[in-house]
Amino acid sequence: MYNIARTPFAAVFQAEVLINMKRVAPYAMMLLFSGNALLWWGAGPAEYRGWATNSEHFIIAMTRVFSFMTVPLFTALIMGEPVIRDFKVGIDPLVFSKPVSRAEYLLGKFFGNFFVLVCCQACFSITFFVLQGVSVPGMLVVEPRVLPYFKHFFTFVVVSHLLLAAIYFAVGTLTRNVKIVYALGLAFYPVFITYQAAVLKRMTGSVWRTILDPLAFNWIDELSRGRSAEWLNQATFGYTADLIVNRLLVILLSAACFAIVYFRFSRVERSGNREAGGPSSIFNLAPPSERLYQETGDSGLGRYAEDERPAASAAASVVIPAVDTSGRGIRENFGQFLAALEVELRLLRAEHSLVVVIPIVLLMCGIEVGYFNGGSGPPYSAEYAGVAAQVSLLFILGIAVFYTGEAMHRDRELRVEPLLWSAPTRNFVLLLSKFSAVFLILISLIILLLIMSVAAQAYKGHGPVDLLPHLAIHSLISVPNAVFIIGASVALNVLLRDKYLVYAVSIATCGGMLYLFKQGYNNWLYNPVLFQLWSWPDLSGGGGNQTRILAHRVYVLALTALCLALAHLFFGRRSSGGIYDDGSLSGRSLAALIIIISAAVAGAAGMILIRAS
Amino acid sequence: MIRLPEHRLVKFTGTIRGLMVSNTAMLQIRSLKKTYSGGVQALKAINLDLPKGMFGLLGPNGAGKTTLMKILATLLEPDAGEVEFNGIDLLARRHEARRMLGYLPQEFGLYPSLTAEQTLNYFARLKGVADARARRELIDALIERVNLSSARGQPVGEFSGGMRQRLGVAQALIGQPKLIIVDEPTAGLDPEERARFHNLLSEIVGEETVVILSTHIVSDVSNLCGRMAIIRRGEIISACTPQDAVGSIADSIWEATVPREEATALRSRLKVISSHAFEGRVRVKALSKDGRPAEGFSLAQPTLEDYYFSLVS
Repeated sequence: MYNIARTPFAAVFQAEVLINMKRVAPYAMMLLFSGNALLWWGAGPAEYRGWATNSEHFIIAMTRVFSFMTVPLFTALIMGEPVIRDFKVGIDPLVFSKPVSRAEYLLGKFFGNFFVLVCCQACFSITFFVLQGVSVPGMLVVEPRVLPYFKHFFTFVVVSHLLLAAIYFAVGTLTRNVKIVYALGLAFYPVFITYQAAVLKRMTGSVWRTILDPLAFNWIDELSRGRSAEWLNQATFGYTADLIVNRLLVILLSAACFAIVYFRFSRVERSGNREAGGPSSIFNLAPPSERLYQETGDSGLGRYAEDERPAASAAASVVIPAVDTSGRGIRENFGQFLAALEVELRLLRAEHSLVVVIPIVLLMCGIEVGYFNGGSGPPYSAEYAGVAAQVSLLFILGIAVFYTGEAMHRDRELRVEPLLWSAPTRNFVLLLSKFSAVFLILISLIILLLIMSVAAQAYKGHGPVDLLPHLAIHSLISVPNAVFIIGASVALNVLLRDKYLVYAVSIATCGGMLYLFKQGYNNWLYNPVLFQLWSWPDLSGGGGNQTRILAHRVYVLALTALCLALAHLFFGRRSSGGIYDDGSLSGRSLAALIIIISAAVAGAAGMILIRAS
Repeated sequence: MIRLPEHRLVKFTGTIRGLMVSNTAMLQIRSLKKTYSGGVQALKAINLDLPKGMFGLLGPNGAGKTTLMKILATLLEPDAGEVEFNGIDLLARRHEARRMLGYLPQEFGLYPSLTAEQTLNYFARLKGVADARARRELIDALIERVNLSSARGQPVGEFSGGMRQRLGVAQALIGQPKLIIVDEPTAGLDPEERARFHNLLSEIVGEETVVILSTHIVSDVSNLCGRMAIIRRGEIISACTPQDAVGSIADSIWEATVPREEATALRSRLKVISSHAFEGRVRVKALSKDGRPAEGFSLAQPTLEDYYFSLVS
């Protein structure tokens, strides 16, 4: 009798679930999604709109916003790399040499990870479900219910993300590049918003608006438009025919994505290697050393696959010249820093994701700046620069966190660490090279944004174009913000040691702080990016806050130095423990000294900020 | 607790003592201990004195070889103990130690998008070879020496395992290292590349250089090393020259080819040190100091492998 639990599909499925259980990311996601539910339950729109927090309308409204706002990036995180992971860790020949069919392998991979994703997402609805038993003064609650939470979760989250998951899985599996998947995850927001604004909102028929909406985002709005809060609190919502058609279409599209993956997926190792696809077995089971030989001709005699072998005897006579490595001190460190920075930049350039991410950021900011009407100008230059700085903040944050994480963990992931760490290079050289590489990327982005906002201003005839406000705003606001975010990310990556954990912590922290700032709990001391705390007159001296802003920037730069020194102190590579090493101050002593100095500077700048308020 | 024949125990202790008092020792390891957080005691108060030249460290998988190599390469901190190279405390003066070090780990990766030339240039700069011209000459020589001339501009990501290993060797030779640590270097190499690697290693041993070759391939040590030690379960159970090791079991190794069923019975009766399948039967080697151990056995020429198996099996 056929037992699905004993099939290779079930084995692959189970292995994926087990792998995910040992990762930090799913647990971080569960916490984040539960926190998200708690936030929207306690401080969402229910109270001021008079909605009951467990009414069916509120459940649907929150679930679809959760599906749109919170989850897509995490879907990319979970679904992008299941197959890539196998090729990366080299387990692919072991798996593919077993009697597992392509469909079983791909389905097991997909559904194993999708199951984990759904379990994480379910924390949102479960938390919402549990919270209906909690009573808070001023909060409206109707009679307890069970089914709507899970029914709508399935309809609006699981089905919608089945499609997104299928797309991310397909792209990850076929390109074998996880960065492209993350870029797609980021691109989801602009694409979906543009699609909503440019296509769906312009449609006259509500039926088509529902049918063609992949997240079924507008369906509840169509039904609740013009209704009172009392009516919405008591209403029950059955699924309409257009919604059912929409959901079926989404499932069909997911199946289509999966079919493409099935037909296009190749189990052969993909690389530019000359040996790939050559005479070695189709699954590349032979270890690389064995693949050096090729059988040629009828003689059956092994011949060298590479031209250099006959030259072996000549190579033996080559004398390795003696070189001078006696350089010491700052000059040596600077030379090593330049070498490390050059390699970091080369590696970042080799990342295909940058080619996608930077244009997307420019496009997003370009749309915002392009549609800007000039604000309260003239003069317009400061207004344009202000908009560019404001819009780019989120992207600077994202790029800084993501690429710092990549740079900080790359050496370990590629197993270059033992070679690098046994070289006579100071820890600060390694850390600063990574910091500087990401900083240079962000500086390039800021310069491009500056050029774009100047061009947009000139194109729209909002002259005269004055470069000073553009330069001042970016150098006083955007650049120090970038410096701080990279510095904090470096420290977080060293202290937490897991880049996915760092991503989750960064997203949660930024989301939490943004929420606090929006709620009015905005303070100069815990707002390192000056979100909503500056205006052009403050920078130009006309607003009376110039000293405060300068003090804040000093405060932020001192905090950055503190973060970098902490990262140095707790860096995994051990340096000498004493005060002096190799005739100069040891790295740890230097870090301790910088911590003391930067804490003192940050404290002094903080006192100025407190006094000014 | 391992039980050794009395004569070998005396020999073993004597050799260790001999090494400990040796004035020519360049690398001295004293009471080195390491216990991992899971409770695994990887090194149990190891003492070793290594003179200049090639030193082989033999041991089965999980014996503690890589842990010892990582500590010597300044990548891992021991719980206790001292390591001194040429009078320099390697554990306290890590930066200075790294200047003298050439390290080829058991498992390592390289940046796949960089070419062989760029990779070597990077490591040369990190090792402090500041002069661009000298660096270029060094890289040219290294690339030629490890036979990668035709692949010098090729991204490392496209290299085969053997080519990657050769590039690893090249980076370990940058800057005339005084202490070269090679951990399982020939794993994954074909016989010809292995031989070429052996030649290269033996040629780079300079006047004041110590090369530590950690391996579980006994023939690598017998081919290359003037001195050796065997490590098992975190303890040094033998330290001597390969010749002494083989000499200590002269006239003690007996060999017979027997049916499979008989081999099992022999294992319980004799001190069988190794058995290999051979044409449907089993070739058994046994240790016996007191003459022929059983009917059908003949005296065999002892090898370093026999010595190794007699200690670890």
